[in-house]
Amino acid sequence: MFKYLFAKGDDIPRGTAAVYFGISSIIWFVIGTGLGSFNAAKLAFPDFVTGSEFFSFGHMRQVHVMAVIFGWISMAFAMAMMYITPALGNTKLWSEKLGVWNCFLWNVGLSLALCLLWAGISSGREYSDFPWFIDIYVLAFIGIPLGLNVWMTVIKRRTQGIYTTNWFFAGAVFMVWIVLFVGNLPEYFQLTGLTEAYLTWWFAHNVLGLWITPVAAAIAYYTVPKITGNPLYSHRIGHLHFWSVVVFYSTPAAHHLMSSPLPEWLKSFASVEGVLILVPAIAFVSNLILTMTGKWHYFVDNVETKFTMTGVLLAIPLNMQGGFQQTRAINWYIHGTGWIVAHAHLALLGFSTFLEASAVYYGLQTIMRRKLYSLALANFHFWFLLIGFCTYWISMTIAGLIQGAAKIYEVPYIDTVIAEHPYMIARWVGGTMVFTGNCVWLYNMWMTAREGTLIPEGRLPHELAYER
Amino acid sequence: MVWVFNNPLYSLSDEEQNVSAREVWEGESLGGIMEDNNRLPQPVVWLLGLTIMTAFMITFPLWGQRPNGAMYEEYVALMDTPEVQALSDDKAKMKFIVDKVKSQGSVWAALQERHPLEMDDLRMIKGQIIELKNAGKNLAEFSVVGDKMVMANFEGNMLPDGSRRERLQPWWDKGYTIDVFYVTYFCIAVMIAVKRLPNHEWQPDHDKAH
Repeated sequence: MFKYLFAKGDDIPRGTAAVYFGISSIIWFVIGTGLGSFNAAKLAFPDFVTGSEFFSFGHMRQVHVMAVIFGWISMAFAMAMMYITPALGNTKLWSEKLGVWNCFLWNVGLSLALCLLWAGISSGREYSDFPWFIDIYVLAFIGIPLGLNVWMTVIKRRTQGIYTTNWFFAGAVFMVWIVLFVGNLPEYFQLTGLTEAYLTWWFAHNVLGLWITPVAAAIAYYTVPKITGNPLYSHRIGHLHFWSVVVFYSTPAAHHLMSSPLPEWLKSFASVEGVLILVPAIAFVSNLILTMTGKWHYFVDNVETKFTMTGVLLAIPLNMQGGFQQTRAINWYIHGTGWIVAHAHLALLGFSTFLEASAVYYGLQTIMRRKLYSLALANFHFWFLLIGFCTYWISMTIAGLIQGAAKIYEVPYIDTVIAEHPYMIARWVGGTMVFTGNCVWLYNMWMTAREGTLIPEGRLPHELAYER
Repeated sequence: MVWVFNNPLYSLSDEEQNVSAREVWEGESLGGIMEDNNRLPQPVVWLLGLTIMTAFMITFPLWGQRPNGAMYEEYVALMDTPEVQALSDDKAKMKFIVDKVKSQGSVWAALQERHPLEMDDLRMIKGQIIELKNAGKNLAEFSVVGDKMVMANFEGNMLPDGSRRERLQPWWDKGYTIDVFYVTYFCIAVMIAVKRLPNHEWQPDHDKAH
């Protein structure tokens, strides 16, 4: 990487930034899920690693969350943007050098930020745990350069039309700037109390809604038509999806705080919009499922499609849960329980991770012009990820229902802890399976870069998957 | 940019724009990706309609009413009766009160069932309920939050004399009015965006550019 930081722009091969982002994202995924597995072990076995505050759950939890969101998910998004945006505009990335610098500063900044969190220097706000100076760094050296590169690539495209994926990319990089700035205002201006709580959840809601959800969906809009060779079923439904994300997801987010003393009308407003996130979900899932018509064998044969369509299908339970769990009728029961933790993992480890993994698999092979080193290891990764995730999701959902019942019926806390213990062990097993799968993935991609069969010009990686 | 309104359900663009859009659509390859021009399948349209209806119906505050002082007024009134005083333990006292109120029939029956409490809870709010009642306050305007009776944070409507607002939990509030506006303008805006495209009866020929 270092040799390209000060190289002339023209001397940097196309796709360099995407490859760096792709490899970085996998490494962060391994680190993030390793931390997750460690944290889960502490919940399942309370005597595991004690005696040092640095390994206490309170220090480690946010390091796991931020490593996964900013390291894995967002870097995989950056990787996808670095190669898909120019490909769809029949052009090259606006600035490969800016992309390389962006990746370098991202890795440096994130490493520093996670060390601070680990040391206990935190804003104390969930999902926006970084202290204020790191928030400024994230906006200035991560968000803005990425957005600039995406926007300029779209502007400099050599096509008249803009494909659906690029609407989402360009829209999301712009919206995330606003989310990063407004959502962190309590840290810049010392806003406290209800205002702080509200903006904290406005940030958390919109990082999911205006960054992770649309970008993950944009990846599916690219990989499915690209690999199956089918046209996207409907450009029109793409409009419905895009605008419904912008309109319904960007709402006040007060439904995250249904039991707080926020004005009731604000909660009503947010709660209706909360159910209406099903509109983009229905548009997205129906468009992709119909695009697969006649090509469903790819769901079995092709590893990237397997990842993509699993992510697409997981959008159904994700949005059913997300839409209804925030209503007054349900929220009083599950609020503050493991159900929410399960839902968060359905969004980040289920829906979005599968889509990002497909982008990274496909992108690295395409850019490096090397066939996957081992399809068997990729399938191993897929199944460990899926089974591990499902184990986690189901066990935490059950644990959440137990906690909800215990909360309502005022069961003594220690009895609740005992009742949910088996599910905490299942959570650790699931999380560890995900971590193991990711280690295998890192090895597989490393070997792909070193020893993968070269893909001849004019061929695509998935066409050669079963050729020796 | 010409707008045509004589056949809005067919297209809002004139024929020249539609021809131009079709040429672009068929003539350029977006990184090897193709797009069709299908309409939303009818079952999905129904599903979306159902979703919008459900969104309003399931979020009515009726389904999430908070406990208010009026709900427990009848309970408090029974606390000091000889029948209750004669009972030895709190569980029996609470059961007697709940059964008695239920048998008398209460307008708050559904919410009382939804927000059960114990004698200790009742003791903590008893004094506050009596005090508010003696002060002539409407107990329905006070939420029970833990051991405190607090003014409900519903904005509500001004009373006819303009003196103050009613702080009762409504079945409809201005949040819903904003939602109606939001959903309506969203539907109109998306329909306009989609109707500017060539009509769905036309499908692009992907052999031209690919």
